Amino acid sequence: MTQAILERPKPVRPPKPPPSPLLVGGVLGAVVVTMVAGWAIDFSLAPVVEQWPALTMILQEVAHPEWEEITDPSSRLWTALRETAAIAVIATFVGSLIALGVALLSSKVSAPPAIYRVTKSGMSVIRSLPDMVYALVFVAVVTGPLPGILALTAFNVGIVAKLTAESIDATDPGPLEALDAAGATRWQRARAGIIPQILPGYASYVLYVFELNIRASVVLGAVGAGGVGQLIMLYFNRADYPRLAAVVIVIFVVVVAIDLLSQGLRRRLR
Amino acid sequence: MSPGAAKRPEPPPKWPYTAVGVALVGIVLLAGWSLDDARWGRLPLFPGEVLQYASQMLDGVLTWPGAHPDGQSDPDLTYGDWWLQALRLMGESVALAWIGTCIGALFSFPLAFLAASTTAPWFLRLPVRTFFNAIRAVPEILLAVIVMLPLFGLNPMAGAMAIGIHSIGSLGKLTLENIESIDPRPVEAVTAAGATRWQRIRTAVIPQLLPETVAFWLYRFEVNIRASAILGVVSAGGIGALLNRVLRGREWEWGGIMLAVIIIVTILVDQLSAAVRHRILHGAEATAVWA
Repeated sequence: MTQAILERPKPVRPPKPPPSPLLVGGVLGAVVVTMVAGWAIDFSLAPVVEQWPALTMILQEVAHPEWEEITDPSSRLWTALRETAAIAVIATFVGSLIALGVALLSSKVSAPPAIYRVTKSGMSVIRSLPDMVYALVFVAVVTGPLPGILALTAFNVGIVAKLTAESIDATDPGPLEALDAAGATRWQRARAGIIPQILPGYASYVLYVFELNIRASVVLGAVGAGGVGQLIMLYFNRADYPRLAAVVIVIFVVVVAIDLLSQGLRRRLR
Repeated sequence: MSPGAAKRPEPPPKWPYTAVGVALVGIVLLAGWSLDDARWGRLPLFPGEVLQYASQMLDGVLTWPGAHPDGQSDPDLTYGDWWLQALRLMGESVALAWIGTCIGALFSFPLAFLAASTTAPWFLRLPVRTFFNAIRAVPEILLAVIVMLPLFGLNPMAGAMAIGIHSIGSLGKLTLENIESIDPRPVEAVTAAGATRWQRIRTAVIPQLLPETVAFWLYRFEVNIRASAILGVVSAGGIGALLNRVLRGREWEWGGIMLAVIIIVTILVDQLSAAVRHRILHGAEATAVWA
């Protein structure tokens, strides 16, 4: 018995396949792009060592935040924060409502071919511009929170419409066929067949852009569109690091709280 | 009771939807009312003015590049110079977004293994996860202003580092979710064959994980290109700084050219990256059908 096992020929392992030329090309391409990019921005980590004393000085100031800014409810920080929250809420609401209509117009399930092609390509142009650019253009018309609201609204329409249109593309065609057979108009078809199917997805996209908006409206103020961002630039230009640190602490807490809240809600929607 | 009178089920109540709708509208109105300096009266001005700016921008884009713009102090300046300058700066933006993404990928990949419940003990998991969440919560612009600008000065390295550090958080979170959701059977197989912890990760975890993770790196690169525009406003490199200056100076023709370059380059990079991601995730056959 033992003899038989020993005499059995060794199984031949299949040869290891050579790495695919595409993989090799891809890796080489990534390396070349990285080298070119590094050269283009003068990549160097030397300043980390050279400028370390300057950074530690700033970090020491940051480590002693101006608590008064946080504890006093009438401080600049709280006014700016209320403004940021209002901007985010309004932009999310208006942007999401417009986006629902745009999404219905940009899916081949709910719109005629001529319309959905035009809407779809228009939306990809709107999305290709960062929110900051909208804010810069709108700030030229009027300053204050209004350009911030409009910039975030434009940005939200882009994101929510794209995600919702993808949900509409993926709806179950069964109810739609039933409605078509019963002679529903295009609007009745959308109202009774599509919206009920996409509502959970749509609601979770709205919460997701609300999260993004809180972060973005922090940033938008940097170009003068109101809110906490304006305060950050003010303290940065004055090199008032203790107050800047107070702002950072509050933003951090607010962003984490809203993320947790919205993640909890989104989990329930699924 | 006659069999013909089958009862229709009661339609579900509508009031919960109405209540949520009314509450939302109430919150929005409250928010609108709390903004005392919003100048809502200016709202009707926007369509007209924005259209006017847009038409001036379009003029700039459609003007022959050899022509000289009026109102500029330099008589040799042409529209073509503006195009070249915008392209060079946009190139810088793309380069710093790429380097930032590389930094994020490089650090997030090993860290994610220390944060996944299948590969690390809890005393490592907890601090690494907290670290990921913490850096995700700080917007890039704050990181740039407080840490990177003092270190690197007003140049693209500051932007690349700010984007890189921020990306560690989001890439790390996604990579660790990928690690936790892999098929456990290959891992069990190599464990049964006596693999060490490192061999297990090398032969059973990483091969499963790599396609989706690399695809997400590319997606993050697309996001980072947009983020780099914001960092330009605090002069952390890229096209943002000049765009900020030009649009604030209401040089709409010049701004239009810069926006055109941003749109074209962003869409091109998005398309390229989407094609590569599709090839990575779905293989050659699917690509052939798709193309």
